[in-house]
Amino acid sequence: MAMDASYGDEFAVGCFISIKTALGDEFEGQIISFDRLSNMLVLQEGSKTGPRRNIRLLQANYIKEFTILGQAEDPLDLKKCYLDLASLQAREEAAIRQAEMEAERIGVGVTSDAQRIFDALSKTLPVHWDKTVIMVMSEVRVCSPYLPENVTGGTPAANDRVKKVVMHIDTRI
Amino acid sequence: MSLQQVVQPRPSANGFGRRRVEREMGSRLDSKPHSGKSNPNSFTIAGAPNGSKVGGYESPSRDWLIYLTTCLIGHHVEVQVKNGSSFSGIFHATNAEKDYGVILKMARLIKDGSFRGQKSLSESIGKPPSKTLIIPAKELVQIIAKGVPLSGDGLANGLQCEKRKDIMIDSLISHSHHVDVQRELERWTPVEDDLQLPELENIFDNPWNRNWDQFETNEALFGVKSTFDEELYTTKLERGPKMRELEREASRIAREIEGEETLDLHLAEERGFCFHEDFDIDEETRFSSVFRGVDDSGYEESEDTTLDSRNTETFGGSSGTVISRSFSDVARGRTDGAQASSSSLSMDEAQSSQSIASKDLHRLSSIDHAKQLTSDCVSKSGKSRMHENQFREQHGGKSYSTESTERKICRVGEETQTSKSEDIQSSLNVKKAVSDKVGLSPSATAFAPSSSVSSKGQENASLVGSSDSIGAGTIKAVNSRGRSGSSTSSTSEFVAAPSASSGPGLSPSSSVGSLSSEKSSLNPNAKEFKLNPNAKSFMPSQTPLRPPSPVSEGSFYFPANVSAVPHMHTVPVGIGIAPSFGHQPVIYNPQATPVQSPQPYVHPNGPLYGQQMILGHPRQVLYMPSYPQEMPYKGREF
Repeated sequence: MAMDASYGDEFAVGCFISIKTALGDEFEGQIISFDRLSNMLVLQEGSKTGPRRNIRLLQANYIKEFTILGQAEDPLDLKKCYLDLASLQAREEAAIRQAEMEAERIGVGVTSDAQRIFDALSKTLPVHWDKTVIMVMSEVRVCSPYLPENVTGGTPAANDRVKKVVMHIDTRI
Repeated sequence: MSLQQVVQPRPSANGFGRRRVEREMGSRLDSKPHSGKSNPNSFTIAGAPNGSKVGGYESPSRDWLIYLTTCLIGHHVEVQVKNGSSFSGIFHATNAEKDYGVILKMARLIKDGSFRGQKSLSESIGKPPSKTLIIPAKELVQIIAKGVPLSGDGLANGLQCEKRKDIMIDSLISHSHHVDVQRELERWTPVEDDLQLPELENIFDNPWNRNWDQFETNEALFGVKSTFDEELYTTKLERGPKMRELEREASRIAREIEGEETLDLHLAEERGFCFHEDFDIDEETRFSSVFRGVDDSGYEESEDTTLDSRNTETFGGSSGTVISRSFSDVARGRTDGAQASSSSLSMDEAQSSQSIASKDLHRLSSIDHAKQLTSDCVSKSGKSRMHENQFREQHGGKSYSTESTERKICRVGEETQTSKSEDIQSSLNVKKAVSDKVGLSPSATAFAPSSSVSSKGQENASLVGSSDSIGAGTIKAVNSRGRSGSSTSSTSEFVAAPSASSGPGLSPSSSVGSLSSEKSSLNPNAKEFKLNPNAKSFMPSQTPLRPPSPVSEGSFYFPANVSAVPHMHTVPVGIGIAPSFGHQPVIYNPQATPVQSPQPYVHPNGPLYGQQMILGHPRQVLYMPSYPQEMPYKGREF
């Protein structure tokens, strides 16, 4: 599947190219870089709108066919390229923290309906998962199938409140 | 540089498992990637020792790959693998030594290309993300990352954004993604071949009778019965034999008003008059409500005669046309009587600089008259405009009824008249002498300038504003302006005034009563103000910002932005115009003065307001004379 021509890409930085992959993807982009050793082609997609770009790293082995659309200059400004490792790591940590927080919200082994109900409840009430049971305010439990009658526990006031919310979720859905 | 021990890969097709450990990318960036250290990648495809590939690592393209890869660290990416599945996660590391494998953190399968295929969505959601996911180079097809800051500025901004993400500010929460680039805005032009919908063309025609009654329709369709009763919301009309007369009278007055000629662009347009000679009036002037130029919303010159006659009645003085005109400007309105008297009042006052007391008396009486007339008219017509006018008149009357001196000061700028500095001075002094009427005078003064300046419209606006039971306030304001110090007493006078101006049916007696609470309201000995049309125009020592001619024509003090700020009750913003008023070394500093004093009447900027008059600066100047402004916002504490 490796095409010899792809090796010539490393000299064609800035080239606009249209690619079809072996998996059926089709896209266009501008070549930023090509690493012959690992056969990785780095493309920039979309029009350049500011410093942020859409990047695609493609294993050139998977290129089924390609067409060169045109040639332009290097999209990367060499002078402006620098790295700040510390901030990169900070970014990663922040992203991981964020992802973990989001992961908490996803129930393991629950249906999407259940997840939807959980999300709706979480908009107004503090909720978290306890296996497959939705725990509201740490005292009211909502188990499958997450209907108003499945709301148990907690003080009567809290219970009613959760019941109401669950009821409204249902009607909306 | 930290290396991780390589773990023999477990043969598992499942992407969730830990396949192998790759070297941390980050640490490698400090130095050129080298294979000096033992290469744990014993499982790599070719199995060739990395050491032999050192040379290749130094190639610039390799460097670029490493650079770009580093830029991805911490970014959300999608990785596609050989079997078509896609994983989404946070880019953590790569092995860029020979082949390109990646490590993702908190990765999730978002597209399953394996034969196990389309799992139901519910199940896939239910799986927690993998803390670490390693994708070997062999499986890697492509990595997609969106919005990666690559170059310097992008990096700086991007990282800043990342830092700020922890603090969930509203803009972050609502902006799920980056802001779009500003798009080029184009003016809309109607396309010729747009669908012509005839029923939409004249949609605003005939609003009162469109052959469709919504209430009927509602009742028919939904059985909704309307329970609207007009009389719940408005005064019950006495339907009797006199009704028709009253109606006729009212519509006559309405027609008169609406047919008035006006210099105000907006009103002219409403009424259907073509506008000014200069047709190159831009859109803003035509349609904006920001007042920037001469505006005489409705001040009429035609009411002079009536005013004059009234004047004579009340004051016996011969008020020139100017006088009456000035007042008519001030109190635009159809209640001639009231206006006339008011205007005459003002006129007279301007003219005469007699004892204030007497003047006051006259004024008060005229005010009464004015009020009476206004009330009558109002009750009859019931038009809001009338009310407005009435208020204006009242206010005007009030103001006028006050000191002639004040008026003079006002007039000075505008009119012409006798307002000489000495006069003003004396009038001021006189004013001070009269504590009772203080309230009145300031109002008069205040009012006068506005009237004298050609801004009829402005005055009306200000008047109207003030009329909302703020009349007193305005007057107060005027007071403070007009007199330095002695206005305090007047304040008290005017406190009552607001009550008077509470509604259209303001009973003159109430206002008068308040005024006269101190003592006999009007100074019976006050000499009526007679406007002397031949009097020399007052020229402030500094060059007036406007040529004298425009001043004389309207002889109304036209506050530049009164219309714009009819309800602005803050410090009058006068910008830049501070002609010295007569001899008083008054520094025009509107901001400084009025608001601070808790007593509205005390206005250190006393004569200031006189100055403003003179300045009837027509355009451009964001000159907001303090006086006029105070008119509208009566009753508001500065």
